[in-house]
Amino acid sequence: MTAQNGEGMEKRETNRDSGHRLDQEFGEPVFTELTRRSFLKLTGFGLAASLIPGCSRGPSEKLIPYLDQPEGILAGKATWYATTCGGCNAGCGMLAKNMDGRPIKLEGNPGHPISGGGLCPIGQAMVLPLYDAQRLQTPIIQGEKSDWGKVDREIRDSLAKIKRSGGSVRFLTGSLTSPTEQKTIQEFLSDYPGSRHVCYDPLSQSAILDAHLQTHGVRRFPGYDFGAAEWIVSFDADFLGTWISPVQFTAGYQAGRILESESPRLSQHLQFESRLSLTGSNADQRIAVSPEQINQLITALAARIAAKAGQSVGFSSPSLKPDHKAKIDELADSLWKSRGRSLVVCGLNQFETQVQVNLINHLLGNYEKTLSLLKPSNQCQGNDRDLAFLVDEIEKGKVSALFVLGVNPVYDLPGGEGLAQAIKKIPCTVSFATHLDETARVTRYVCPVHNPLESWRDAEPIAGKLSVTQPTIRPLGKTRAMVVSLTVWMGNKKEEYQVMKDTWRTDFFKRQKTDSTFGRFWDRALHDGWVEIDSPVRASTDFNMKSIQAVPKDPVISADKLSLVLYPKIGMLAGQHAHNPWLHELPDPVSKIVWDNEASLSPETARKFKVEQGDRIEIRQGEKKLVLPVHIQPGQYDGVVAVALGYGRVGTDRFTRVGPQWLESLPTVAVGETVGKNATLFLSLSEGRIGYSGSEVSIRPTGEHGELVTTQIHHSLSVPAGLAMKGMPKRPFVQETTLEEYKKNPESGSHPVHPKHDLWAGSHEYTGHHWGMIIDLAACTGCSACVVACQAENNIPVVGKDEVRLNREMHWMRIDRYYNETSEGTDVVHQPMFCQQCDHAPCETVCPVLATVHSSEGLNQQVYNRCVGTRYCSNNCPYKVRRFNWFDYPREDRLQNMSLNPDVTVRSRGVMEKCTFCVQRIQAAKSESASSGKPLVDGDIQTACQQSCPAGAVFFGDLNDEKGLLAKLKSSPRRYRVLDDLGVEPSVGYLRVVRNRPEPRGVKHHD
Amino acid sequence: MTEDTNVRPPLIDGNKDFQQVTEDICAPMERRPTNLWWVAILVSSSMLLLGVVAVTYQVATGIGTWGLNNTIGWGFDITNFVFWIGIGHAGTLISAVLFLFRQKWRTSVNRAAEAMTLIAVMCAGLFPIIHMGRAWLVFWFAPYPNFRGPLWVNFRSPLLWDLFAISTYMAISAAFWYIGLIPDMATIRDRATTKYRRMIFGILSFGWDGSQRTWSRYETVYLLLAGLATPLVLSVHTIVSFDFATAVIPGWHTTIFPPYFVTGAIFSGMAMVLTLMIIARSVMGLQDYITTRHLGAMCKIVLTTSMIVGLAYATEFFIAWYSGNPYERFTFINRALGPMGWAFWIMVGCNVLVPQLLWFRAVRSNVAVIFGISIFINIGMWFERFVIITTSLSRDFLPSSWASYVPTSIELATLVGSFGLFFTLFLLFCRLLPVIAIGEVKGAMKR
Amino acid sequence: MIDQRVVMVFESADDLMSATRAVRESGWKIEEAYTPYAVHGLDEAMGRAPSRLPYITFLCGLVGTLLALWLQHWTSSVSWPLNVGGKPFNSLPAFVPVIFEIMVLFAGLGSVATLLIRSRLYPGKKVQLPSVDITNHRFALVLAPQDASFSHDEASQLCRRHNAVALHFLGDIENKK
Repeated sequence: MTAQNGEGMEKRETNRDSGHRLDQEFGEPVFTELTRRSFLKLTGFGLAASLIPGCSRGPSEKLIPYLDQPEGILAGKATWYATTCGGCNAGCGMLAKNMDGRPIKLEGNPGHPISGGGLCPIGQAMVLPLYDAQRLQTPIIQGEKSDWGKVDREIRDSLAKIKRSGGSVRFLTGSLTSPTEQKTIQEFLSDYPGSRHVCYDPLSQSAILDAHLQTHGVRRFPGYDFGAAEWIVSFDADFLGTWISPVQFTAGYQAGRILESESPRLSQHLQFESRLSLTGSNADQRIAVSPEQINQLITALAARIAAKAGQSVGFSSPSLKPDHKAKIDELADSLWKSRGRSLVVCGLNQFETQVQVNLINHLLGNYEKTLSLLKPSNQCQGNDRDLAFLVDEIEKGKVSALFVLGVNPVYDLPGGEGLAQAIKKIPCTVSFATHLDETARVTRYVCPVHNPLESWRDAEPIAGKLSVTQPTIRPLGKTRAMVVSLTVWMGNKKEEYQVMKDTWRTDFFKRQKTDSTFGRFWDRALHDGWVEIDSPVRASTDFNMKSIQAVPKDPVISADKLSLVLYPKIGMLAGQHAHNPWLHELPDPVSKIVWDNEASLSPETARKFKVEQGDRIEIRQGEKKLVLPVHIQPGQYDGVVAVALGYGRVGTDRFTRVGPQWLESLPTVAVGETVGKNATLFLSLSEGRIGYSGSEVSIRPTGEHGELVTTQIHHSLSVPAGLAMKGMPKRPFVQETTLEEYKKNPESGSHPVHPKHDLWAGSHEYTGHHWGMIIDLAACTGCSACVVACQAENNIPVVGKDEVRLNREMHWMRIDRYYNETSEGTDVVHQPMFCQQCDHAPCETVCPVLATVHSSEGLNQQVYNRCVGTRYCSNNCPYKVRRFNWFDYPREDRLQNMSLNPDVTVRSRGVMEKCTFCVQRIQAAKSESASSGKPLVDGDIQTACQQSCPAGAVFFGDLNDEKGLLAKLKSSPRRYRVLDDLGVEPSVGYLRVVRNRPEPRGVKHHD
Repeated sequence: MTEDTNVRPPLIDGNKDFQQVTEDICAPMERRPTNLWWVAILVSSSMLLLGVVAVTYQVATGIGTWGLNNTIGWGFDITNFVFWIGIGHAGTLISAVLFLFRQKWRTSVNRAAEAMTLIAVMCAGLFPIIHMGRAWLVFWFAPYPNFRGPLWVNFRSPLLWDLFAISTYMAISAAFWYIGLIPDMATIRDRATTKYRRMIFGILSFGWDGSQRTWSRYETVYLLLAGLATPLVLSVHTIVSFDFATAVIPGWHTTIFPPYFVTGAIFSGMAMVLTLMIIARSVMGLQDYITTRHLGAMCKIVLTTSMIVGLAYATEFFIAWYSGNPYERFTFINRALGPMGWAFWIMVGCNVLVPQLLWFRAVRSNVAVIFGISIFINIGMWFERFVIITTSLSRDFLPSSWASYVPTSIELATLVGSFGLFFTLFLLFCRLLPVIAIGEVKGAMKR
Repeated sequence: MIDQRVVMVFESADDLMSATRAVRESGWKIEEAYTPYAVHGLDEAMGRAPSRLPYITFLCGLVGTLLALWLQHWTSSVSWPLNVGGKPFNSLPAFVPVIFEIMVLFAGLGSVATLLIRSRLYPGKKVQLPSVDITNHRFALVLAPQDASFSHDEASQLCRRHNAVALHFLGDIENKK
């Protein structure tokens, strides 16, 4: 992570001045002659539109220089703005790279208190929705396009009527981290007595908040510090993948796992889960259990910890399976030893369970050490009880006006169809959607809001950490921020930035001491993207031991039935990103499935039901049924069927014709169908909670087969059983060891490399730079942020499901995931794989036209306009990292093309392409260094993948720089190279996986 | 190669004189085509048309219309290329190598075999061109001077060696074939009954008059060309095998490839010559010239090369095991027993097992059975290339990128089209030019 | 005294050979022999030296070899030196295949070209044959215009001895068919 600072900060120096200027500008009424937004609009449309045709095959046009050069904008030079990601509620800091007036790339904001410089795949993909042609451009009244004047008139009339009649107004949102929005909504609702703001999360963790209300007297979501924990126990919480704030948690998690230092330290992570999550795949130890066993295990653990603490509790340990019992005993001992330095988290949305988790953390003294209620998180605020009540109200027709922001209840909630009918009966319904989603289709008014990159917003994801969202482009359509709409309806129209600035002036300025004037405070916030303020959080009450109760026994799943687990996928979450093709094409980090959701079964269960990969099964629960293709998932608990939420969104049939169309091509999604199927019908909204797992379902093969498309077909480093010779070793591409072994011998886990003889030693010395990369496999979680980062940076096209089916995905960066069946379960390793920039590159020798050659700085260059497409290089690549343009991939969407990086060529058909270590960034940094005279140091150049990595697992630098990080890591005892034996001399090295577990596991025979 | 050294049977049957030989060989091209010929040309040109449509579509749309993928960059395209190049080897073998070895029986088949070579090389040459992402850029392969600054080609790439090898082979084979045709075309010119025929063959025969001075130089050049073509034919398939042998992919990176490929080429080429000769002798009524003794001699070459090819298969497996290289070992186990093992066993069955029947004299003299065997070998040798190319690529080093390959309709149509091109051109050759070298047969006749 | 070329026509190569030897013994000058196929030993019988074409072939081959070697060396390490797969600019072993192919190409095409030029063979050349059917089944021997020693009778006798089928003067083809 240390290597990641520098560039962003330096880049933003130029922006600091404009910050001052902006302040002056925005002191004036908006939309005067030359506001920043208006020139951004000009540049965004004028220059970008004139640039775009240059990228297509159309006639080339002359680039017309600015008549009046806008201040601070240099054609071809990037401007960076600090802003906040709007992909989920985590509130990660981003830097938006603007080229010629249009944002083209989002990067993590180094030093941001939430994300620390990384981004997740969603954050990386958030530039695409800005240029989505299907985003709503104008307000809608009853399905008809309208204008703001009419909408405002009608809504104000209805509101006036409601006010007169005393009708009830309900404002339904997701977790709202923006204090300004919170405040504005409160102001708005204050006009309507009896009105309420209801908040829910589609991926609800309401039980954690409720449990803290019970045990600590405050309804708060604790702030977790995984870095401070030596022992991490997670019960079904996918905190590295999808849970609450994965980037923040990944960075924290890695902070507790430092190997490349004088005193290596490695936290221990034990994961209990029923499906195989990304977090589970990274755990030091992982135990597959059924959802109902999790409750028992937590109870048992709580009982043992209570016993150790000498605390009597009103429940006893349930009887466990012998191996579980041993594990829990051992775990209780370990946790007790690490009191105050441990953390237990649970992802089950069950109140009683979460209360017990609180008890464990309390007894271990973890509060205010590894998790904090004094610095609580606002990232998750939903209240399922409120939601259930509201749904009931709506269904009973008790609501007069409903405002919906940031959630999609008709889709998110079970029984959405019925809810839709009920919503239609409400006299005044307003949706602040960006697309005509399921809910917007049934509301009377749709008041489209800006894309986050067009908005002024703030966020306080963690109490006291204020993060800023500032626009990087003028709104592309006639959209309007929610707060503006509310001020209009309240009768005193205020612009968005004004509302926000007012809040900041009145509420936040006084809560800080750094800056003496508000102007400075505001500037600093815009420049850094965040500020810290005092957060007067009321201390919680003492732990209420009386609140502890036994967890009710879960219903037992009968033997011929399965337990259903509903979970979010890393790119789709609850379905907010269904219009983002990058995220659909992002292989799921674990299953590697694209463009679909599936029913995961363990291999044993699949055998039991006689189904194979891709067979369609019907999942049935009473009257509810859903047909999905089967995915066979090693490591999953037998007797569980796992289905991803967030699919089957209305409008995803837009992807029917994504990818090349030809004689035998299959559509990515059939006409009128959706990408994946909606599994929310199996959610339960009862007893005041949304239930995600543990309900009983039966499955039945339908006899049909629908292909599931994955980017990886083979999952083991051992060769298939029937084809193995005796003693054929596991392929040593991913090497691993345990912490104990590593301490004894830092080179443990290595694989002997045969002595090599270099026929051409000394033919080409690298006298200047010699670029290289090191990937720390112990740190890499496989989250795949780098995959999307690379796609965004390098203009990699989306090719559609059918092309991926044919193994023609275009991602330059892929993450190989291998399973290793051991005596104690399934081990998983993630290995980022991309061009290894071999110094003796086999691809180069075979190219007949010198379209791929080596640079004097050790880069394996690909010359797109010299390539004739023999594909010999790809055949001869031992890593199979080259990508061929099998077709001219569609680039007809002019708006979408605005997200293209002008520094990178858009490749045409018949051309080979691959990772080049982001050569455009190397060149930019080199010319920067040449003009400034400052020599390049580590961190001046950051590849897209490196910049994005939340775990800091990617290191790029100069192998020739003796004092540099790369040279240091190169001599790490953990470092090895994949296929070193071949003598291709790759410039990419990997650092061995080190697991913190008792002893190496016996390798079970793999089939 | 002769049946018996003491009592050498005549080269051709029917106790013919020179005039009769000329009559017989020229007859098929001077009379109206038979119905069988019409049917054959109709079928083959339809196949060609299908291929043209498929290739046009592919060139217009993209290589994606083939079933290739990131892991398997070559499939039917290079399989067909190597297959056709292999077929193209028998012509030069029969013309040049057997000429140098003074095998007189070659005279009955060398003309057709050379024509076959040319046509096969044309078919082969098509594939590297259409397999490129953008076929119209094929001239970028040529090291031509240009004004874009230094912009040359990579002489280290086996694909470039291929270009030189194939174009040289094509040029030398064409020269060899045409030189051989000149005296025969003069013969046709001088017996022509129509004005146009006389005129056309008059132009084509370059004013050949059969003078001793010309014959003497002609013979010298013929011998020189034969001497040059013999190492050439060995070099061409050696270089084609370098496409694979110089790569790092297990299953490709093998030193045995040059001799293995050359033998395989001769084997497949001989089989194709057999197929064609058996068709030609019955369609064109040339049983007296292409006798069962000729076929028998070719069968013996087929049997010999089949066993060499079989030995090469076995050697590959032995070396894979003996090397101790786990990737290499796996590749060969996978080749035989993996998901594409069926292709391997087709290859072994057709190339090693079926030709063993040729040990029997009864088989060698049964034209129908020989024909069947030759077809099996054609299929088997196609699969040999398919097996080498695709099974090696499909599962190389990193299991994460292991993949399989299924051809598309476009690829199948292209393969069919290449056969269409081959047979169409061969049938036209049979109609328009003497299928048998008239002069050479006369020279080799015992009178 | 005669200044016309005499043409003797035979049915077999053996007759032609023996007649050729006989003609040479009698001191007459042979201008040319015409055969439907290459008759081995005829040049010897006519007293002609073997062709010097192989020297041309060698020369062409040598030129091809040097040209290919120079082209590859110059393009790869002088004109445009690039690091390709870490191999030296002058990757000589990799240049061998192309050197060999160019050598064969030059030698082969050079020989053919030499043949065509030396024997004046070119498309569309008008040809005057000394007799009919010599490209089919007849063999002809053409005597150079003779001085006084030539006797028509002797020639007829020689023809009869060697089974000639015709004896005529050049240009008299139609009559003596």
